[in-house]
Amino acid sequence: MRLLVLTTTLAAALLGAGCATSVNTVSRAEPTATPNYVADQRVITDASLSRKLGIVSVNQATVSGNLLQIQVTLENRSTRPQAFTYKFDWIAQDGMELSGPTTGWRQIQLQGREVRAVSAIAPSPAAADFRLKVREN
Amino acid sequence: MKLALATTTAATALLLVGCASKNDARYIDPQGPQTVVSIDRINIQDWNNAAERLVASLLASGVLERAPEQPAVMAVSRIRNNTQQQVDTDLLTKNIRVALNRTGKVITTTTLGPDGRVEDPLAAEVGSMQAFMSGERQRTVLPFYTLSGKLLEDRVRVGNTQQTTFTFQLSLTTTRDGLAVWEDVQQITKQGRRSSVGW
Repeated sequence: MRLLVLTTTLAAALLGAGCATSVNTVSRAEPTATPNYVADQRVITDASLSRKLGIVSVNQATVSGNLLQIQVTLENRSTRPQAFTYKFDWIAQDGMELSGPTTGWRQIQLQGREVRAVSAIAPSPAAADFRLKVREN
Repeated sequence: MKLALATTTAATALLLVGCASKNDARYIDPQGPQTVVSIDRINIQDWNNAAERLVASLLASGVLERAPEQPAVMAVSRIRNNTQQQVDTDLLTKNIRVALNRTGKVITTTTLGPDGRVEDPLAAEVGSMQAFMSGERQRTVLPFYTLSGKLLEDRVRVGNTQQTTFTFQLSLTTTRDGLAVWEDVQQITKQGRRSSVGW
């Protein structure tokens, strides 16, 4: 009986260790980068997703003179690798949504506890606002 | 008894309707995550994804602002296909052209092409006809940049699991000195045993 319990515990521990593939990181103690952070509002319709994926920060920049670039830093809150799909929508000053041939859904795979940024550049200088949609695979 | 029969019939009918709607042909968003994923082919989402990443890289590099005239005039040169599948490279280049055009940074000439193959022969003919009729020299705007590239494929198999990597290489060259001022490589890797619907 004891042997059975021991074997089961060991197997469970090994299984758990096999699944847990979280990422360790190292970075500068005092970052020198000065991102231009964006105050954001979040709409959560999938509570399970929000438990698994955290939005760390949102920052913006301007590239190529007048194109808005948005970067959203995501964190996989689980210790297991997870895949998510995301899509940036772009909105003009008058509130109209802008479309383009390269504004579709994309996939991102995050290792356990990994923090990584997704970014996109507006399809037109007319873009004033953005909306990031994220869904679980 | 009648109620039970009616309920069972209704449930079966609903189930059948549900199954039929899943298997029957339907429209899906070509930019959405319900598209088919094949391991050995470049799917529509792969072209879009590669084009998006390459356009973002090009715009972020800042080289387009260095052109003396804005928007910069670009011609599409040869995109070599070294994959095992027969593809129309416009699936990549047209997306890139459209995206760059909408940014207002680049305008593409359609009357110049590699080996004299022009995209719009009528525009070239009308241009020369206009020049002939007016007695003036034909004004062809020469491109400041050319876009060239190559598509590559790498396949590997372990047991029943197949992995394919598609590599998209692009270079932007200034025509006056022949220097590649921007280059990038994007890779898409797919792994699995068989194709799937959705990703």
